Amino acid sequence: MALTENDALTAVPEAELAEVQADLTAARGSALADVPADVLAQTLGQYLRASWQRIRSGDSGILPVLLGLALVAIVFEVITPENAYLRPSNLIYIFGLSTVYMVLAMAETVVLLLGEIDLSIGAVALMGGAIAFKLVQHPKPDLPWWLAILISLVCCGLIGTLQGTLVSRLKIPSFVVTLGGYLLFTGILIIILGGADGFVSVSSTIPNQAVIFNLVQGDIDQTVSWVGLAVLIVIAGAVMWLRNAARRRSGLVAPPASLVAIRIVLLAVVGVVVVFICSQTFTPGVPEVIPIVLAILLLWTMGLQRTRFGRYIYAIGGNPEAARRAGVNLALVRTAAFALCSVTAGFGGILLGSFFFGQYSTNTADPGQVVLYAVAAAVIGGTSLFGGRGKAIHGVLGGLLIGGIAYGVSLLQLGQLSTPLTYILPGAVLLLAVLVDVLSRRGARTGSVSRV
Amino acid sequence: MSEATSVETAPETPASEVAAVAEMPPAILARTLGDYVRGSVARVRGGDSGVLPVLLGLIVVAVAFQIANGKFLSPQNLVNLFEQSSIYMLLAMAEIFALLLGEIDLSVGLVMALSAVITAELVQPSGSNLPWWAAILVALLICCAIGAIQGTMVARLKMPSFIVTLGGLLVLEGVAIIVLGGTLVGIGNSQFNNEVVIYNIYLGHFSPLLSWIFLAVVAVLAGGAVWAADARRRRSGLVAPPASVTALKILVAAVAGVVVVAVCNVNRAHVGTINGLPYIIPIVGVVLVAWTILLQRTRFGRYVYAIGGNPEAARRAGVELRRVRTWGFVLASLTAGIAGVLFASWQVTLTTNIIKDANSYVLLAVAAAVIGGTSLFGGRGKTIHGVLGGLVIGGIYNGLYLIGVSAEWIDIAVALVLLSAGTIDVLSRRGAQGRV
Repeated sequence: MALTENDALTAVPEAELAEVQADLTAARGSALADVPADVLAQTLGQYLRASWQRIRSGDSGILPVLLGLALVAIVFEVITPENAYLRPSNLIYIFGLSTVYMVLAMAETVVLLLGEIDLSIGAVALMGGAIAFKLVQHPKPDLPWWLAILISLVCCGLIGTLQGTLVSRLKIPSFVVTLGGYLLFTGILIIILGGADGFVSVSSTIPNQAVIFNLVQGDIDQTVSWVGLAVLIVIAGAVMWLRNAARRRSGLVAPPASLVAIRIVLLAVVGVVVVFICSQTFTPGVPEVIPIVLAILLLWTMGLQRTRFGRYIYAIGGNPEAARRAGVNLALVRTAAFALCSVTAGFGGILLGSFFFGQYSTNTADPGQVVLYAVAAAVIGGTSLFGGRGKAIHGVLGGLLIGGIAYGVSLLQLGQLSTPLTYILPGAVLLLAVLVDVLSRRGARTGSVSRV
Repeated sequence: MSEATSVETAPETPASEVAAVAEMPPAILARTLGDYVRGSVARVRGGDSGVLPVLLGLIVVAVAFQIANGKFLSPQNLVNLFEQSSIYMLLAMAEIFALLLGEIDLSVGLVMALSAVITAELVQPSGSNLPWWAAILVALLICCAIGAIQGTMVARLKMPSFIVTLGGLLVLEGVAIIVLGGTLVGIGNSQFNNEVVIYNIYLGHFSPLLSWIFLAVVAVLAGGAVWAADARRRRSGLVAPPASVTALKILVAAVAGVVVVAVCNVNRAHVGTINGLPYIIPIVGVVLVAWTILLQRTRFGRYVYAIGGNPEAARRAGVELRRVRTWGFVLASLTAGIAGVLFASWQVTLTTNIIKDANSYVLLAVAAAVIGGTSLFGGRGKTIHGVLGGLVIGGIYNGLYLIGVSAEWIDIAVALVLLSAGTIDVLSRRGAQGRV
């Protein structure tokens, strides 16, 4: 009797122990599996195989939107009259047209990463642009251009802080807060412009205003463009190479050296192609807007991928409760994200006015339309609506796709059909992008929340 | 051993009974009028304020604008106000189907525009020249098909409703412009009977005598139905409000009806005579009653609330999620389509710009539903919220316009009302749901 009791007592812990050990190994196995294989790759071949595997398992990254861009380029080049779509001057115009969508989509991405939404950025962007334009008006107030832009961005930052506070501290759904913000700032925009017929413009002949006028319309001198490109490639290449070398020296996981070299060469080739295309136009030189958008992209990519703030944003978007238990100050990060989103949007608004040859009126753009296109651009680019998945580059590529379609349709000279198609095509692309996303992630272990 | 278990389980039954009793709203269990009033007060103080905030909001709007401009509460303006609000009301009632499911439908504004364009095009004598009822039927069927497509994408393909309806609204905007064909389509108050019927939906009205007869018939039928239903519940021994409460409800509704008809029968024309109950009041009323019965009294309605409250629990209880969700989107689009017929009648001439503007109505529809008291998180809300919220938004637009405020300030006012409604909603329900 006593013996059996003893046996039972010892037997149970042993079984439990075995179970625990089995669990441990399982956890270790799954932890290994969770690290993308391409991160662990030591040679170029391994890396390519791992990337291919990742794409096949549903995590396709920016591949779909790149394919979409290629498809749009080829289709429109073939079907437009005189095959005019890919002419250098048209390509530059498409970039200018897409600027507002690219910048606003980057702004929206930050909020989408949190699992929130900001419907007010269209109105905030237009308001920011109108403020900056108003402040450089000639007799009065005639502020220097940098001060005008600074004040406009500070205003947008305050708006974002206010909305973020309502969302994160009062816990009002971001949808409601920013819907109210959209109406509110649309009204304030009209007041700033001076009524429904209001109008404000900057001229390219007044030096102070010309700086703002040239943000999108201006070109960088041909020689300066080439020199700048060379300097950029050298600096970027050196930073990438040295960082990887440092990682490898410290024994950290790092991509193979051949891969880094290929990336640098690719970067240089793309840069040379862009500058070359820009030199083939009627007014040769790289438009200022290209380095500006690249700078915003770089800032957001570094901010999201390399800082603690960025990691917190992904953590909150992935699982807010887990982030809170890990000690993340949810309210602070959320408020900051809304503030930075509004600042980025405000700068996008200034660029929008510059794209329209320095004109700003209530008819410049419909704030509701702009925000819907910005969300569409972010999602088409590959950012998830459920939070925790997405990058700044997605916004840029998605914005380019939307601008590319819009311009392509306008080239087709379809008469009455051209207006409807500028709505239908982005809508269809958006639905297709999400459908591909949903289908490719079906049954995927990781990623967005499972939905009943 | 068996004795011990019975002792252990015995106290559990009363405890769970107590809990069940405690969860029942006291207003439902009331036996007398006094009990009922006390129960209602307790429920409001407990945070479940229902339509009370929006009613208070309506009173504030009415008092404020009456002080600012003595014309606000004049019979002429009240009819005008209701006419202006009717589109917001119908769109908010449409949006509530999506909101109750915990989804969102951003396309209702453009479904409305498409329905308006289709109706207007089909009754053109130079075009297909369909009878007015056939034109409306075709428009509503197309709207249902749009809802079915969007609902299927949400329910079966599990695409987020936000994106499906965002893409949907972009596509519909284009489709509506294609259907429009040229630059504009108009509905004239002309010799063509089919156009005149559509034209009269918004501006038409009963004669004063017919208005009273209509009210009497509705009051007798509705009062009789309510009284009979409560009496049957009481006879069957089910929980039912006391007879005095039922009588009081019928009386209040009848008095409200008399006031409405009396207000509508005042001459509201600057020149000549326009008096009588506008058709849109019964139109909005029919939609309200139909959707209220559907949501409150049918199995489908219970399933909608169950899914909105907890989809996983509803699924485990055997609810066919995909079918109910798809139907929710169909009903939202159908209601938006009804709004579209009214929209065509209101605008008279439809242009590309009007189609583009229709997009902004969706935000006001969501605002109306939320202001009325419908939750954005699903499972909480009623059709009447859309009507009351729509009336608040219409009242603000109308009142600010009366006192000569320009459109941008009206947008700002609506925004502030929406933000305060959201804040009140969140603050009053604090602790009810945990959000990190």
